[in-house]
Amino acid sequence: MVSKMKIRNTKIYKAFANPVWGNNPISIQMLGICSALAVTVQLKTAIVMSLSMTFVVAFSSMTVSLMRKIIPRNIRILTELAIIATLVILADEFLRAYFYDISKQLSIFVGLIITNCIVMGRAEAFALSNPPHLAFVDGLGNGAGYGGVLVTVAFIRELLGSGKIFGFRVIPESVYAAGYEDMGFMLLAPAAFIIIGLLVWLQKVLAGE
Amino acid sequence: MSESIRTLLFSVVLCLICGTLLTAASSGLKEIQQKNMTIDQRKNILQSVGLVKTDRQYTGDEINRTFEQKISRLVVDQTGSVIPSSETGGAKSETELPIYLYTNEDKQVEAYVIPIDTRGLWGKIYGYLALKSDGATISGFTIYKHSETPGLGGEIEQNWFQRNFVGKKIIGPEGEFVSIAVAKGKADDSVPKDRRPNYVDGISGATLTGKFLTQGLKEILTSYEGVSVTFRNTKEYCKTNKETPWCRK
Repeated sequence: MVSKMKIRNTKIYKAFANPVWGNNPISIQMLGICSALAVTVQLKTAIVMSLSMTFVVAFSSMTVSLMRKIIPRNIRILTELAIIATLVILADEFLRAYFYDISKQLSIFVGLIITNCIVMGRAEAFALSNPPHLAFVDGLGNGAGYGGVLVTVAFIRELLGSGKIFGFRVIPESVYAAGYEDMGFMLLAPAAFIIIGLLVWLQKVLAGE
Repeated sequence: MSESIRTLLFSVVLCLICGTLLTAASSGLKEIQQKNMTIDQRKNILQSVGLVKTDRQYTGDEINRTFEQKISRLVVDQTGSVIPSSETGGAKSETELPIYLYTNEDKQVEAYVIPIDTRGLWGKIYGYLALKSDGATISGFTIYKHSETPGLGGEIEQNWFQRNFVGKKIIGPEGEFVSIAVAKGKADDSVPKDRRPNYVDGISGATLTGKFLTQGLKEILTSYEGVSVTFRNTKEYCKTNKETPWCRK
């Protein structure tokens, strides 16, 4: 019990756990909604996006944090953006050279990651005022919080929208024969809005607000 | 004053570092990337004629070897006559149409592959459409590059969608040219029975991607129609043009 309390009180634990639940980038801060709409039609794309996003936000936060003492305040946002974009493009170039198949799957996400408000938001709100290791963990936490919501939404959308999970049919043919139909609406962007709204509601109820 | 100079200096240095890193990565890795892309395109061509299975991994060497053995690139004009490589401009044009010929062990042409580059919803769609040597039946369709929405229009890269094309016809029952179209939803539900050979199942939530693809395929197949007609009439054509690659026995 004592050791559990100790872990919970460390700065690192807080930097990770806070964005996963209490200060979730999507369901509390309402950031990154645009990409959450685009990539949650299937679980697979949602997971790929979550992983790439976690990678980028962790390393860009760390880099910004390392440079935080020399970045002039008046051009800090430009600097953050330059760092993020450079890192993302570098990673993309390497993937295209050595992991061509993965890079083909990522193609469209790369642009979405650079424009994702969470990356800039964490650089601005956390990395600029915290040491590199905390900024890195904060990035991991935000990636996990973002990924958690994405995967939940994608699970619901893929299951109800196409009757599949990870592209495998899970709703048996007999149910279709009995008159069940996939919910075409789930494949469209507004469905993600509604599910995210319901998740926000659920979280607020669970958190007792 | 000193503050502004510091800011200016910082941004110049930052730009230089970022620029150098990006340039180095881009030019240093270009060769490997180019190689990957070539292999991927060759793999797609092989897949469209059924020489590569989708459920197996292939090494780059395997792809290159099969490609060099079985596939040859030709440039033809609109009537299907081969333009010697010394006279071609290299780029695709109205009168110079590139095709890939798939020749089997008995030196018989099994299929010809037409490169597809057409407009999609968000960007260009690149792929290959292979037609059997009867000039009418689709042997396969693949897409190697696109920027459609993942999960919606992006489904065009999925096997189920591409398998859809196999065995479909680009001609009608009378032998007239009709092209191949993407139906809205399942072809069985939305297309009259006698037209079904010319339609493939569409993707729900991606009506526009289907529309652009239908349009693009029609335009490309129209410009290649002369070539296809030649294949359809191969027997008669070969009597007078014995030197054409697909007539040589």
